[in-house]
Amino acid sequence: MVNFTVDEIRAVMDKKRNIRNMSVIAHVDHGKSTLTDSLVSKAGIIAGAKAGETRFTDTRKDEQDRCITIKSTAISMYFELEDRDLVFITNPEQREKEEKGFLINLIDSPGHVDFSSEVTAALRVTDGALVVVDCVSGVCVQTETVLRQAIAERIKPILFMNKMDRALLELQLDSEELYQTFQRIVENVNVIIATYADDNGPMGNIHVDPSKGSVGFGSGLHGWAFTLKQFAEMYSEKFKIDVVKLMNRLWGENFFNPKTKKWAKQKEADNKRSFCMYILDPIYKIFDSIMNYRKEEYEALFPKLGIQLKHEDKDKDGKPLLKVVMRTWLPAGEALLQMIAIHLPSPVTAQKYRMEMLYEGPHDDEAAIGIKNCDPNAPLMMYVSKMVPTSDKGRFYAFGRVFSGKVATGMKARIMGPNYTPGKKEDLYEKAIQRTILMMGRNVEAIEDVPSGNICGLVGVDQFLVKTGTITTFKDAHNLRVMKFSVSPVVRVAVEPKNPADLPKLVEGLKRLAKSDPMVQCIIEESGEHIIAGAGELHLEICLKDLEEDHACIPIKKSDPVVSYRETVVEESNQMCLSKSPNKHNRLFMKAVPMPEGLAEDIDDGKVNPRDDFKSRARYLGEKYEYDVTEARKIWCFGPDGTGPNILVDCTKGVQYLNEIKDSVVAGFQWATKEGVLSEENLRGVRFNIYDVTLHADAIHRGGGQIIPTTRRCLYACLLTAGPRLMEPVYQCEIQCPEVAVGGIYGVLNRRRGHVFEEQQVAGTPMFVVKAYLPVNESFGFTADLRSNTGGQAFPQCVFDHWQILPGDPLETSSRPYTVVQETRKRKGLKEGLPDLSQYLDKL
Amino acid sequence: MFFIVGLGLGDCKDITVKGLEIVKKCERVYLEAYTSVLTCGAEALEEFYGRKLIIADRDLVEQGADDILEGADKSDIALLVVGDPFGATTHTDLVLRAKQKDIGVEVVHNASILNAVGCCGLQLYSFGETVSIPYWTKTWQPDSFFDKVELNYRNKLHTLCLLDIKVKEPTLESLTKKKKEFMPPRFMSVAEAAQQLAQILEKRKSEDNILVSGASLCVGLARVGSKTQKIIACSLQQMCSIDIGGPLHSLIITSPELHPLEVEYLEQFRINK
Repeated sequence: MVNFTVDEIRAVMDKKRNIRNMSVIAHVDHGKSTLTDSLVSKAGIIAGAKAGETRFTDTRKDEQDRCITIKSTAISMYFELEDRDLVFITNPEQREKEEKGFLINLIDSPGHVDFSSEVTAALRVTDGALVVVDCVSGVCVQTETVLRQAIAERIKPILFMNKMDRALLELQLDSEELYQTFQRIVENVNVIIATYADDNGPMGNIHVDPSKGSVGFGSGLHGWAFTLKQFAEMYSEKFKIDVVKLMNRLWGENFFNPKTKKWAKQKEADNKRSFCMYILDPIYKIFDSIMNYRKEEYEALFPKLGIQLKHEDKDKDGKPLLKVVMRTWLPAGEALLQMIAIHLPSPVTAQKYRMEMLYEGPHDDEAAIGIKNCDPNAPLMMYVSKMVPTSDKGRFYAFGRVFSGKVATGMKARIMGPNYTPGKKEDLYEKAIQRTILMMGRNVEAIEDVPSGNICGLVGVDQFLVKTGTITTFKDAHNLRVMKFSVSPVVRVAVEPKNPADLPKLVEGLKRLAKSDPMVQCIIEESGEHIIAGAGELHLEICLKDLEEDHACIPIKKSDPVVSYRETVVEESNQMCLSKSPNKHNRLFMKAVPMPEGLAEDIDDGKVNPRDDFKSRARYLGEKYEYDVTEARKIWCFGPDGTGPNILVDCTKGVQYLNEIKDSVVAGFQWATKEGVLSEENLRGVRFNIYDVTLHADAIHRGGGQIIPTTRRCLYACLLTAGPRLMEPVYQCEIQCPEVAVGGIYGVLNRRRGHVFEEQQVAGTPMFVVKAYLPVNESFGFTADLRSNTGGQAFPQCVFDHWQILPGDPLETSSRPYTVVQETRKRKGLKEGLPDLSQYLDKL
Repeated sequence: MFFIVGLGLGDCKDITVKGLEIVKKCERVYLEAYTSVLTCGAEALEEFYGRKLIIADRDLVEQGADDILEGADKSDIALLVVGDPFGATTHTDLVLRAKQKDIGVEVVHNASILNAVGCCGLQLYSFGETVSIPYWTKTWQPDSFFDKVELNYRNKLHTLCLLDIKVKEPTLESLTKKKKEFMPPRFMSVAEAAQQLAQILEKRKSEDNILVSGASLCVGLARVGSKTQKIIACSLQQMCSIDIGGPLHSLIITSPELHPLEVEYLEQFRINK
């Protein structure tokens, strides 16, 4: 490291108001990693000349080769703000008195949707987000996804318009057109913000606004960037106007007439938009003169703009010169770091409003107050958001954020996994932290301790946590809330070692894989198959490669990818279903009904969830879904896993001892919703009603052994009599391409059961954006197919969007769902054929 | 013909003469082995009857009734039940199934704990509703049976508590899986039963109208009908720490008012006279 030592960083870590934890988020290929490089170059870790060519944060070989980010990477940077810039920070919680230095912990995260679980993990440990948008393509599907996630985690966004060089060199937009493009992107971003955030919410107004300086412009690749603040500073002396006032004048409907020297609010014959005149015109002039090799012209410009070139750069011309000139004039690191320090919240500011979202326990216990005040002397509360592989194979650094207290090498702490419940011993370890470390891109540095508000890594914790967890020293601490991912693992492959003797290595490798990726699921089916489930084809491809090369180190055979399905029903059970317990003394009477549209999604999103107060939940269900409120109050449980989108409702009247069998019925319900009757896939969108129960007079004859299997049989009978259906996952797919390629896209989509629901031109460009729904099952090989049919001009981005019923009755042998059911059953080692109702339904 | 034969409580010789004749002539003989056990093992029975027995566990009796009844319309099949066929354990469902298949059913009665309990001197006429006390788990702790105990007590009746036995019961975790794992066999002792009752009393101490208390007189019985039969009378509190040997146990919570003859008879079982 060139600019600072670990000791210096440790000193600044204590100045919590001068810390900024931020992530860089964007759609794939909008230039995050390249932009990040220019920040890193400013902070002095790699040489300035290499910025834009190195992809510092892409640490893996495949990341460098493919030029996409796969894993998120953290870097700490140190940066001093000048006195004239410090005055822009007015909130006392945003800077320590008499302190110019800022510690910026930056996480660069992947843009490809398949890796958006990495983004979720990054957002959890940061307070602010730099949203990067390619100003040529504009706001894309993943921009919206990550921005929505950021706002849900209460992360404050700032915006950066990247790839201005492309807009100027390739698209040749004139300055007014470019302004309009910018304006539209700002509006689009603010619309998304307004949709998911409330101006009166705890974060306050978080809209981005160029005239406030929270929007940056520039080119990460060429290493230059500016905000209106830079230009306002240049002009403020000339105009004798205060910088802040001038910033307001430089954006929006402000026009200046150079002849009359008058400002106006409308466009008139001889005035010009101030943004174009004062900001874009000088940039255009430089581009124009340098790219057209008009040496005298540009050499005359340099002194006017205060650009001084180094001696060795003077001989360059064309593009290399352009880069050097722009980089010298408007260094990207400077503008961005200022923007970050001024507009993003410090941990002190952010944790005040984030605590209630983060902490599961009471909001007034020691841990909650420690988090709220970001107090380094409170008990330790740290969230581990992901595991990062070490150079030592099979071991991981636990990466996370200290929200309260201090984490130190050698200290004893409670390590609590996601299944820990206060007062119980499950998923809890009390162990010493072997070592605390700082993580900086490719390097790690040992550090004595890390106080609240900072991001760090821990050594030795990986043995006790699977993926994430809470680390604390407070005995009564509850967990920090588990992260909710925006994607689900819907694509799965089965793996086996090529050499059967390698099986133990495979099992060990799968364990490591599960640790190293925030979302991947490694499952052992009861048939003995090893399944890896991921977000999409690319995600699985990377996981399998990692498994083969890094985690298991053995050759692996893999099956074709298959998707997970869900089972549901489309009508009410056509009869009251009765099942008797094995001893025939207990009888359950139930029916299944499909949930009204939207309820399953509400449960997925947590708008209706098992932790709600049952009265307000019942009111909500009554108002929105016309459920009977008294019945809605008696929702026994959600399932599968206690939270899934199926419910069990007690509609009985005056059954004695019902509460003694409730646990057993719930256990049977969890079982049946996890493994549906058709092909043992999860259920979705089914409501079960218990109408009556007959019980043996004696408790011993109505224990779990009698009730659990009976409940499952009864639920299965309910499903079979209620029009069972399969649901398949569907991607929302966004495809960018030139107009000529649109025809090819339709062809490919039609063949794959996709349907287009939106098609529009990106304003100001010749590009088209086609949005379509595409069943995940049809998406394998989609990218390649699309490229070959459009001459490589169309690039799809697929995000899981919803579940949709696979048309056809799975109980009819000629239907498509029937085939799917049989394939799934065969794969899972189940008896082929259809489930027999008489096995589940008993007669009175 | 389908025979259900009661075996009584003591050892292999408690079977009735009629029952023994049936056992000897039947084609298949099942021994129901999950609701109760005889103090002597199945081997002793086989030796005494001079024939093979098929052990019928819960799954076979409850879900494999068709297997048991197979061929009973042409030949003779017997199911042996410890105690009385319609005593503490009710095999009525099996009888109904047989009737549905037009199979004749004959029942051979024998002693059951429900009447043999008279050995402690309490009058059978003064017993109220019988209850079972199940083993509690961490999450499943039913206490509704206590309401019945309390009600009997108020009505000046004794309560016979049958105590849980677990023979080849699947574990709760494995219930929701395809491969069943079984718990080791367990038999509840009077001490364990008394402890659960004490816990219920503790839990309900805020309810002020409960008459049963730690001082209530209880009778513990072990291996009734066998040579090693043991009976003990003491307070519920004392019962919590009493060991009266191997299974099977039963517990009686006596009525608050006893007949003088009952008192006199119980006196011989008192631990602190």
